[in-house]
Amino acid sequence: MHGEAQLEPPAEHPADEIRRLQRCINDLVSVLALPAIWTGSEPSQIVSTLLDALLGMLHLDLVYVRLKDPVGEGPIEMVRCALTLKLALKLTTRPQEIGEVLDHWLGDDPQKWPPLVRNAIGGEDISIVPLRLGLQGEIGVIVAGSQRTDFPGQTERLLLSVAANQASIGLQEARLLSQQKRVASELDQRVAQRTRDLAAANEELRKEIAERRLAEERLRREERELKRSEAFLAEGQHLSRTGSFSWQVATGEITWSEQLYRIFEFEQDAPVTIERIGTRVHPEDLPLVIDMIDRARGASRDFEFEHRLQMPDHSVKYLHLVAHGIRDHDGRLEYIGAIQDVTQRRFAEEALGKARSELAHVARVTSLGALTASIAHELNQPLQGIITNAGTCLRMLAADPPNVEGARETARRTIRDGNRASEVVTRLRALFSKKDVTAESVDLNEATREVIALSLSKLQRSRVILRPELADDLPPVTGDRVQLQQVILNLFLNALDAMSGVDDRPRRLVIRTERDEGDRVRLAVQDAGVGFEPQGVDKLFEPFYTTKSGGMGIGLSVSRSIIESHHGRLWAAANDGPGATFSFSIPRVPARVTGAHSNRDIGTPAVSDTDAA
Amino acid sequence: MARAALALVQTDTKAQWTLSHGVSHSCAMESRQERSTIERPLVSVVDDDESVRESLPDLLREFGFAARAFSSPEEFLASDCVSQTRCLILDIAMPGMTGPDLQRELKLRRQQIPIVFITARKNETVRQRVLEQGAVECLFKPFSDTALLEALNTALRVN
Repeated sequence: MHGEAQLEPPAEHPADEIRRLQRCINDLVSVLALPAIWTGSEPSQIVSTLLDALLGMLHLDLVYVRLKDPVGEGPIEMVRCALTLKLALKLTTRPQEIGEVLDHWLGDDPQKWPPLVRNAIGGEDISIVPLRLGLQGEIGVIVAGSQRTDFPGQTERLLLSVAANQASIGLQEARLLSQQKRVASELDQRVAQRTRDLAAANEELRKEIAERRLAEERLRREERELKRSEAFLAEGQHLSRTGSFSWQVATGEITWSEQLYRIFEFEQDAPVTIERIGTRVHPEDLPLVIDMIDRARGASRDFEFEHRLQMPDHSVKYLHLVAHGIRDHDGRLEYIGAIQDVTQRRFAEEALGKARSELAHVARVTSLGALTASIAHELNQPLQGIITNAGTCLRMLAADPPNVEGARETARRTIRDGNRASEVVTRLRALFSKKDVTAESVDLNEATREVIALSLSKLQRSRVILRPELADDLPPVTGDRVQLQQVILNLFLNALDAMSGVDDRPRRLVIRTERDEGDRVRLAVQDAGVGFEPQGVDKLFEPFYTTKSGGMGIGLSVSRSIIESHHGRLWAAANDGPGATFSFSIPRVPARVTGAHSNRDIGTPAVSDTDAA
Repeated sequence: MARAALALVQTDTKAQWTLSHGVSHSCAMESRQERSTIERPLVSVVDDDESVRESLPDLLREFGFAARAFSSPEEFLASDCVSQTRCLILDIAMPGMTGPDLQRELKLRRQQIPIVFITARKNETVRQRVLEQGAVECLFKPFSDTALLEALNTALRVN
């Protein structure tokens, strides 16, 4: 057929025409069936099946399709060539190259496309029919080509046109479908993203809620614990009869715990002031309390003292106060402290003290009685011998005739028993003179502090204001610690006794230690008591001299002998004001401590210990 | 000590040596010595104090009694003087058996010997107790010879 001029076909034979028309109808049915195959297909699949169908149906040599932008990913070009054409053209049948050639013929504007172009490609005689896809060719173009001269015949035009329409519809649908899919997928993605976002936000929220719940829980727990500890504190204060307070010295602002109001029996409505407190303090303790407050105002310090309250019903309460002074950033002084109602304890202590002193008295009397009995027994035995022998002796001499030999024998026995009695006395003396003075290094400050600690409750009961003035640089002395403490305690108790009747002035007691001349150490106890008559000074130290109704009068005498055994001196002096001062002064290191028959090493070793310390 | 622990004592009634347990006082020996003044009542002294055991018998003999001294109640009980003793001068406090212990023991043995207690410990309670138990007297050392003689006379009258 190649190279033959294609003329209009001659009139057909009717039978041929019938076959042609039948074939045409078959082809039309096939073309019309294509959309059913295309349903759900991609545009490329659609055009691919279309091209295959057209090529086979119309015996075409070339069919080309270009879709402008079916799925938004740029144009698709596809081409099908009959084998013969391929050989003839010796061309590549790449869609782009063919497309370029066709463009040359077809141009950009589909409206201007010629219905038929002859000899279109590569000099080969090929008739091409461009068909628009879409009304304005907006979908693309199909180009059908054949080397037949009679191409396209009437039925071929019809088939091509119908196929193009079908393809347009199919592609349109595919595009819509694809768009739908894209939109749906985008929507899915957005929904998924949104869902993820929501889930994340939800998770975030959940965490936040959980954290908030934890925080609230914690807060509630802390609140509960705070309430509980407040309740505990209140209960503890109530049970221990202890109240707490703070006192801003500058502003006079006083904060009290509930328990303190109860102890002082104050209504809680009015603020607490020093003056208000003063109305409750026992009149006899008022000077002591005022003194304490004055000292507290002066400088920051720690306090511990006891005083009494006198309640409106005249009952008495004993209070134990402990306070700690602090200064804030601006140097303002504040005291924080606790006050305990120790009335019950005090009563118990007093009862105990009374019982104890009675017991001590009984014990002393008992042991003295036992001692006396045993001394009496030891002496009565030889005395009995003396009396019996002497009696017998007299009777023997009075006999007639006198029994001189017997009398001589009983007189000898009398002398022997006399000596025996004397030995008993000697033994007793030896028994009681066995107390050696022990020599050790004694820190008088420490010894004094111990005595103070021992007599603290007695000091407070006696409402005595004690002011220790202990020298920092006090060297140790060598001596008997216990004996020296006996002396200090004795001076203390004497001072308390001397002040027991003093109510018109503070019962002030000063205990002072200091270095004395000549490598000695001095301790002085200064009271504000009744003092003594100047002419009575010497008598003070005599044994059995006393101004006290309950005293034995041997304390100062014993004290002096102890100090003298330490090579020291004990003396008394009247104060310029009321009261007296008793002092002793002892050498740091005595040349030799006189312990009557001491078998101990006296002196030096203990001293070197202290020097090292 | 006059207390002769494990002492060998020869008695004149039995011409033999007997091993004593420190408690073998013989009233027979005493009675032979006192034979010239026969029928003198025997006063026994029990006291752990040596000077008493030494001096009291001499005084008692001056009073006209026969006298024996023992250093402990056990020694007295072991001797053969118990039944012959007309009066017992008895110390209260002694190591081992005490005076009141001996008083009870004698009562159990139905030996009704009048007792004059003597003690160096002046204790009225103890004195009262022994008197209630039947003692004639309780003298506190040192007592006088006349006080003792008075007590002895009372005791012998009771007897």
